[in-house]
Amino acid sequence: MSASPARPRIDPRGPRFVAGITAALLLAVVFLSLTGASVAALLLLTVLAALFAWGAFAGAGRHPFGLLFKRYVRPRLAAPAELEDPAPPTFAQGVGLVVSLIGVILGLVGLSGGLAAAAAAAFVAAFLNAAFDYCLGCQLYLLLVRAGVLGRSGRVGGAA
Amino acid sequence: MNPLTALTVILALVAAATALGLVWRARQGRIATVSGVVITPTDVASDVPFGRNATLLQFSTELCARCPGTSRLLAGVASSRPGVAHLDVDLTHRADLANRYRVMQTPTTLILDGDGRVRARIGGVPHRSGIARHLDDLTGSNNVSLAR
Repeated sequence: MSASPARPRIDPRGPRFVAGITAALLLAVVFLSLTGASVAALLLLTVLAALFAWGAFAGAGRHPFGLLFKRYVRPRLAAPAELEDPAPPTFAQGVGLVVSLIGVILGLVGLSGGLAAAAAAAFVAAFLNAAFDYCLGCQLYLLLVRAGVLGRSGRVGGAA
Repeated sequence: MNPLTALTVILALVAAATALGLVWRARQGRIATVSGVVITPTDVASDVPFGRNATLLQFSTELCARCPGTSRLLAGVASSRPGVAHLDVDLTHRADLANRYRVMQTPTTLILDGDGRVRARIGGVPHRSGIARHLDDLTGSNNVSLAR
């Protein structure tokens, strides 16, 4: 999660590609939950939470969908205008992890409406990222700093 | 819920998210003219002096993907105009500054006049032309070297 300067810079289109697939899958979770397929919804959201955890802890550049992008999509595209620091999208993965975990817990205690709401919230963030290049770290991170949750110590705070 | 109703809810969710995205994008980089407080370099812990004519005071954090690009854009604008300075202040460990200047997102840019008074506020990635126009108004010049 920390803004480690050692992590290589990444193609900014990678995280948007990841967010696009993630958004589609989160939408599927909402649909499954609404149609009463609670177990399927819970399973799919658990898988997505695990993927968010992967992105948050290994870095946005090593997300499994990001590897798909690197392997099959990026070779077909022109070189990006510039590379980006992986810290902001990694932070966004951490936020996705927290929100999807809340959904999983609500699903486990039988609140399928809560699971659907958490998946819908995560969908909105992922969709805005994919479709509008919205940057969660630009807004939410600062608000967490202002609330005193992050940024107090000498380094960037841990898992968000 | 039957599948058709669920599908309607899904479509409504996508529509709402799209509307949210359009509103967000339209608001990005919008210049709000304000008449605010006077800021000094000491206030923002800067050892770089402010510009004689104007200062572009940018607020960033370490986790802001749009901040480095904004920093380059504003530095370019500042260096092409005499007496205009650009400062990039990292708020990551300065929640007090974020609170004092009510920064809600990064990048946020304040345009200060020659006396250090806040004259405009821009949330999100600014547009070069809008900044140029505002600086023209502020310094009373019409700098033809900048594309409008």
